[in-house]
Amino acid sequence: MTVPAADQKLDLEKLFAARLYAVRVRPYLATALFALHIVESRRVPTMSVDRYWRCYVSPAFVDSMPVEELAGVLVHEVSHLLRDHHGRGERFAREHELSGPGERLRMNIAADFEINDDIFGDGLVRPEGAILPADIDLPAGKLMEEYLREFRFGTYTPGMAWLDCGSGADGLEREWELGPLGADGLSEQQRDGVRFRVAQGIIGRPGNVPEGWRRWAQEAFHPPQPWRDLLGAALRAAVSAPGVGEDYTYGRPARRAAGVPGVILPSLRRTPPRVSVIIDTSGSVSDAELGSALLEVTAISRAASGRRDLLTVLICDAAARIAHPLCAAEGIPLVGGGGTDLRTGFATALRAQPRPDVVVVLTDGQTPWPETKPWCRTVVGLFRRAPSWREGDSDYVPDRPPAWARVVEIG
Amino acid sequence: MSAALIAPAAHTAADHASQLDIAADLLTLLGEATTEPWPNTQLEALTLAVAADLPVLLWGEPGIGKTAALTQLAQSLDLPLTTVIASVHEPSDFSGLPIVGDDPAEHGVPMAPPDWAVRLVRAGRGLLFLDELSTAPPAVQAALLRLVLERRIGSLKLPPGVRIVAAANPRSSAADGWELSPPLANRFVHLQWVHDHDVVVRGLGGTWPHATLPRLDPEKLTEAVAFARRAVCVLLAARPKLVHQMPSSEARRGGAWASPRSWEMTLRLIAFATAAGSSRDVLSLLVRGAVGDGPGFELLTSLDRMDLPDPETLLGDPAGAELPERGDLRQAALDGVVAAVRKRPERSRWDAAWVLLVRAIETGAPDLVVVPATTLATLRQENWEVPASIEKLAGVVSVSQRADRAADLVQARR
Repeated sequence: MTVPAADQKLDLEKLFAARLYAVRVRPYLATALFALHIVESRRVPTMSVDRYWRCYVSPAFVDSMPVEELAGVLVHEVSHLLRDHHGRGERFAREHELSGPGERLRMNIAADFEINDDIFGDGLVRPEGAILPADIDLPAGKLMEEYLREFRFGTYTPGMAWLDCGSGADGLEREWELGPLGADGLSEQQRDGVRFRVAQGIIGRPGNVPEGWRRWAQEAFHPPQPWRDLLGAALRAAVSAPGVGEDYTYGRPARRAAGVPGVILPSLRRTPPRVSVIIDTSGSVSDAELGSALLEVTAISRAASGRRDLLTVLICDAAARIAHPLCAAEGIPLVGGGGTDLRTGFATALRAQPRPDVVVVLTDGQTPWPETKPWCRTVVGLFRRAPSWREGDSDYVPDRPPAWARVVEIG
Repeated sequence: MSAALIAPAAHTAADHASQLDIAADLLTLLGEATTEPWPNTQLEALTLAVAADLPVLLWGEPGIGKTAALTQLAQSLDLPLTTVIASVHEPSDFSGLPIVGDDPAEHGVPMAPPDWAVRLVRAGRGLLFLDELSTAPPAVQAALLRLVLERRIGSLKLPPGVRIVAAANPRSSAADGWELSPPLANRFVHLQWVHDHDVVVRGLGGTWPHATLPRLDPEKLTEAVAFARRAVCVLLAARPKLVHQMPSSEARRGGAWASPRSWEMTLRLIAFATAAGSSRDVLSLLVRGAVGDGPGFELLTSLDRMDLPDPETLLGDPAGAELPERGDLRQAALDGVVAAVRKRPERSRWDAAWVLLVRAIETGAPDLVVVPATTLATLRQENWEVPASIEKLAGVVSVSQRADRAADLVQARR
């Protein structure tokens, strides 16, 4: 029944029917699916994509698959492109100095894991043989990079290379690909444009889009920055703002002034910032989260002032317990648990003599906030929690941190 | 200094000279490098923004070749380059040194400008590069911003021929958290400066790239202005919310954001990129650097849509219509045609749309036509007869039926 591969013609009608079916069940991917440029190729084992949005299709593969599974494969391939697996694979390979076809295969498999655990179902059939992270006992719902760190060679069989998804999946060019100079490729800006339109479509259509795609859409063009950088930047901005830190003043003569009589020069003065850290030790914040955030804050404050005595740490749950002058970062006793009221913590911190220049609050936000803006700069490190609608039946709804504080989400 | 480092007496002065000569030869050899043409989008974007006389802020890690890029830019624009390292200056170097004269109450206190500013003003033209903005104390940054925005150094005013480029380290690597307040960030075109791995490796091997920089075409100026105005106005008329969008989240602070001012900058940048015939990739860097990623992408998508053929033109000559090759754009064009028919349903337009759909199926993939054809069919009014050409849509029907069958199968399997 099977015709020798060389004589087969690509059954375009079948492929288009599959694409139409994929568009019907995943309307938000229509732009991306239609933007694919189909290239018939006898050298590609199954179906693969390159980074220029060309899709290489083997006629024999199209013949062997039913329409509905072919639709699943198309969505799978387009997901590689939308999620920028080639760019991410390339970056990962460079950062970890991975090379060789074996590593690329591993990357392809990790990318497949990321895709396959959340695109199928709800009308889209999982093609036979599509691999899932569960096949090698990995949890679902992670990113390609996380899977790459979690499995090694030998933990899977060669049979797992279900599809060679091409350079679109792992960044390594294959011999059947047309390359950057070939016809009908999409330029970088066009690729971004397609991804942007798909993302906009998903954001504008809340409801029937799975969580994985919605997260992708929100982060496609604004990948979340590492919280350490953000917290550091917020804190450094607070401690180096005018009035605190290093700045010029006409209050003292400049050292340069002696050399240029008749000229009035300002001198550079350093006012090391005083930082008060309020830590929410209520039961809802884990020690590990707190430890890493606190280490970050102390390291930055040290770097800013160079003096340990300018940093004060305040432990707070329902009542502010101990005002603790910090002697060693590791020596802070964390006492507490139970409910939180950060207002007492603020009151204690602001009452201190000498007065702090900056207040840093590390909390999960399950607390009431002060009514009025404190007179010093405030940075809030907010531990990210699952949306509170789960607890919607309780009367207590925690307030968002107020607008006068700079809020950095942690974790 | 230890005694061992002092040359032994046996070595003569002539020996030293020859050693230095040999060292000089070695240095010359090391300095020799060939160049090769290499397309460089970020350099092209920088050139256009500087030509458009907009203040540019380069964001990049230290040591990745920002200064080298500026040197090349100055050469190509034929401008003398003045580099000022902001972090080693005092605020008075930029705002002017107050000189107390005989009678300050009578003559006032003049603010004397530094020598480099005097030279720059005397030359009348030049490229002023303010490096290491991020490591300067706040007062110096404040003084510099006056220089950037008002083009004043003390009592001097920079002539129009002087162009300004600044550079800063990203917040994560800046030691003292340099951060632009939203009003200041809004005045810059922000360009991210990243190094290209291949370029660096080839360069260290002796071959550095040289980019051919864009040249403005005097023939295209009027057309470029018209295009730029239309591009911005079409988008903002449809999306009034994009006119003003202050950055709210912590992650986007200090970057580009949309406001009437930055849209005006965008307009200028589009006109320059069009007059230079630059690629969309270059335009993308510039636009996103002026109004931010979100509004920037919307503008670029809107430009793509502007490139689509006008539905009325297509309906006017359906047999000779040129449809876009790319699938998603082709579908957008067909959807536009069907929408135009729906807006003004007339028999002749309806027929023309069918001719167009037939043309689409003859020149491209049939699955794109399914949705427009279905919608067009629903627009039929009672006395309109189905055109004969619809038979040619048989391919569409069979593709659609195969998809239906797949849907039934999946449904049955559940």
